[in-house]
Amino acid sequence: MIEAVGLTKRYGDFTAVDHISFKVKKGEIFGFLGPNGAGKTTTVRMLSTLTSITEGEAYVNGYDVRREKVGVKKSIGVVQDVSNLYDELTVEENLRFLARLYEAPLENVSKLVRDFNLPAKKKFGKLSSGYKRRASIVAALIHDPPVIFLDEPTIALDVKSARMVREMIRALNVAGRTIFLTTHNMVEAETLPHRIAIINRGRIVAMGGRSEIRRLLGSEIRVRLKVEPLKTSLIHALEGYSPVFDEDALVLKVDDIDAFMEELAGIKGKLGFRIVHLSTELPSIEDVFLELTEEEGEERGCACGGCPI
Amino acid sequence: MKVWAIIVKELREYMLKPGSISWGLVFPLVFSLAFIARFGDIDHLVPGLLSISALFGTTSFVASSIIFERRLRTFERLLLAPVSYGEVILAKVLVGAIFGLLVSLVTLVLVSHFMAYSIWSLPLVLLYLVLSNLAFSALGVYISLAISNPINVMTWLNLIRLPMMFTSGAIASLTLFPRWFLIVGLITPMTYSVDGLRYGLLYYYDVIPPLESMLALVMMFLLFMLLSIRALKKLY
Repeated sequence: MIEAVGLTKRYGDFTAVDHISFKVKKGEIFGFLGPNGAGKTTTVRMLSTLTSITEGEAYVNGYDVRREKVGVKKSIGVVQDVSNLYDELTVEENLRFLARLYEAPLENVSKLVRDFNLPAKKKFGKLSSGYKRRASIVAALIHDPPVIFLDEPTIALDVKSARMVREMIRALNVAGRTIFLTTHNMVEAETLPHRIAIINRGRIVAMGGRSEIRRLLGSEIRVRLKVEPLKTSLIHALEGYSPVFDEDALVLKVDDIDAFMEELAGIKGKLGFRIVHLSTELPSIEDVFLELTEEEGEERGCACGGCPI
Repeated sequence: MKVWAIIVKELREYMLKPGSISWGLVFPLVFSLAFIARFGDIDHLVPGLLSISALFGTTSFVASSIIFERRLRTFERLLLAPVSYGEVILAKVLVGAIFGLLVSLVTLVLVSHFMAYSIWSLPLVLLYLVLSNLAFSALGVYISLAISNPINVMTWLNLIRLPMMFTSGAIASLTLFPRWFLIVGLITPMTYSVDGLRYGLLYYYDVIPPLESMLALVMMFLLFMLLSIRALKKLY
């Protein structure tokens, strides 16, 4: 449904997106993760025809993004990282205006307003930020596109509104739409996408299903251990597992769980404590994200100072 | 159809924005009133006042709309739709010209109380007003897109518009200035509007013959349309 081959964007000497390639299958939610300035928005802008492609190729719904822009535009709905409808028009007027531009049936407007429970007669500028985002998502559906691009859809939203938007995204996917979701929100990354690509400094550094991504940190498992009484000598004995406190438990990084259990039994016999809780978990996507993007903790500056990375 | 949809949206969204009202409506009308109150015989001034109304009405409206669209990124929303750059620019220019024409007509009604002109001159005056508004609107669209930071658009626009009030012969006839000043007058887009309207209303002109004024305004409209499309493509 979406394919990028060696997709590259340069602003002068600065490379915002550097030869990235990926495929998004029909009906998939594809998570595109990356820190600020990694190249997420530039990628969406290229795929949605808003920014020219410097090098490489891209196809959306079978249309060549460089050469068949109208076909691409008719196939996609784009929700940008800002709620950009017209403040002085009501929600209904905004949707009617977009329906005319897309030559979509005007009946779509009343259907969408009803389905998504939007305040049709209220001016867009008077809506809360949650409803503005909801209306912006609905606006992207006016021509019933098979592909939706969502660029940081829950940015600057409160918890309740963000959850509402996530539910909308799930519902759109269940209805058969392919979704390209850029985010640096780990709740979204953990729950929504079928597959994930992590982009850093314009390059894709990891790609795969959620469990594949989690396994990228090797065979390391996190062990959560709660003992009574907790002695300093136990922490010293477990130093090799990088122990850190999380509430009243110790969290340890373990490569070989069998060897660890054996060692723990030995320490237990020696120090005499009772194990209250012991559980294991794989690293989260956040752990992988931080590990893969760690060295780029700060925002990347752009040579031109004004490009929308 | 799409162009008309954009025009209606623009009028509803931007007609009452402060930039459109203050610079586009209040300034030209107050300016005209000030001249009418100061001078008894305003006949020679009227074409200039109409032209100033057209220039400020059109450019203020389109600048106001483009500044908002660029800053709030509604321009991107527009460009994501299957609408061509040409359609977007045509809609912007036409809506600016409609607003400017309304302001010019208000000025015309206002000055009608202080000067006598033949009813038969109205068709030609209206034709020059339409052409002036189209040319000025296209100029405003081009400037609003060519300035990299939208915050600076109004400042740049005033830097261009205010001197034009003097270099076009709108206030004082170009024949009163030294000969070299005529060159400045000839490269001022507003000169063609002022002289055309002067011919339409008063049956004489200062520097540019009526047909040449008309052709120059049409050429300006087309040139700034093309430049605006290029500027929009460069921007997005």
